[in-house]
Amino acid sequence: MTQTGTHDDRALLSRAQAGDISAFEELVGRHQDRVYGLALRMTRSEPDAAEIAQDTFLSAYQHLPEFRGEAAFGSWVHRIAANNALMRLRHQRVRDLVVEEPVEPEFTDRGSLAEYPETDWSRRADDKVLDDELRRAIQLATDGLAEGYREVFLLKDVEGMSYEEISEMLGISVPAVKSRLHRARLGLRQAIDDFYKEV
Amino acid sequence: MKREGVPSIIGVAPNDMFTCKDSIDHLVHFLDGELSAEDEAHLQEHLGGCPPCVDFVNTYRATSGMARRALVKKMPAEVGTALQAFLRSKLAAK
Repeated sequence: MTQTGTHDDRALLSRAQAGDISAFEELVGRHQDRVYGLALRMTRSEPDAAEIAQDTFLSAYQHLPEFRGEAAFGSWVHRIAANNALMRLRHQRVRDLVVEEPVEPEFTDRGSLAEYPETDWSRRADDKVLDDELRRAIQLATDGLAEGYREVFLLKDVEGMSYEEISEMLGISVPAVKSRLHRARLGLRQAIDDFYKEV
Repeated sequence: MKREGVPSIIGVAPNDMFTCKDSIDHLVHFLDGELSAEDEAHLQEHLGGCPPCVDFVNTYRATSGMARRALVKKMPAEVGTALQAFLRSKLAAK
């Protein structure tokens, strides 16, 4: 959201807080993709993501009078959505526990990389169009991360939340958040590396 | 932001060069600009003589941005319509 967008949000928010439902609907329209995207990435379920979007905006509407505007409206609903998604994942975790640890680089006894990267594919990161197969490989690798790593990676590197916010949401320390983030990045880096080795 | 006087995170003795493992273990702190001046110097020294680690750091750094782009999702039109209808029914009832 641009600064102008945030400014427009404030005007819409004031109208919504004064009871203008159409202003609230406009706010929903501006933020629904971001909220749905977060929910879908977190839960990997389209029906769950649709329900989380509904719950999130309904909850936002119900709490509009308490929203003081210290944070941007977008950040506020984003955080509500993240909490809703995490809550849903907590219930699911009992059913399908993923225990795979991210793949980490191997080192020799002297601490040198056991396997060198073949190419520096970081230069392709700015390509305008991301290859569909690469997109699928990244999606699969992210989905395959154990929940504790996946949640931290998505919240930090994809959703852009702070270490402190994630620490509070997940009930773990900031160093633990950083440790999980590092291991998730290592696992995904390896998956992208493997993709480029095969093409 | 560099923090002067912060102890080495993995306990590398002064004047010891970082290994590849030491360098990779420090990457989160390095990219967040949170390494002590001493650790950063060790890491830069290692990178200066280790092209594979330079490639590793570059690709590690690029991973988040590539994932962010790969995982973009938009709300399908029918889900948006259902969301609007849901909210209208709830908001009208208030």
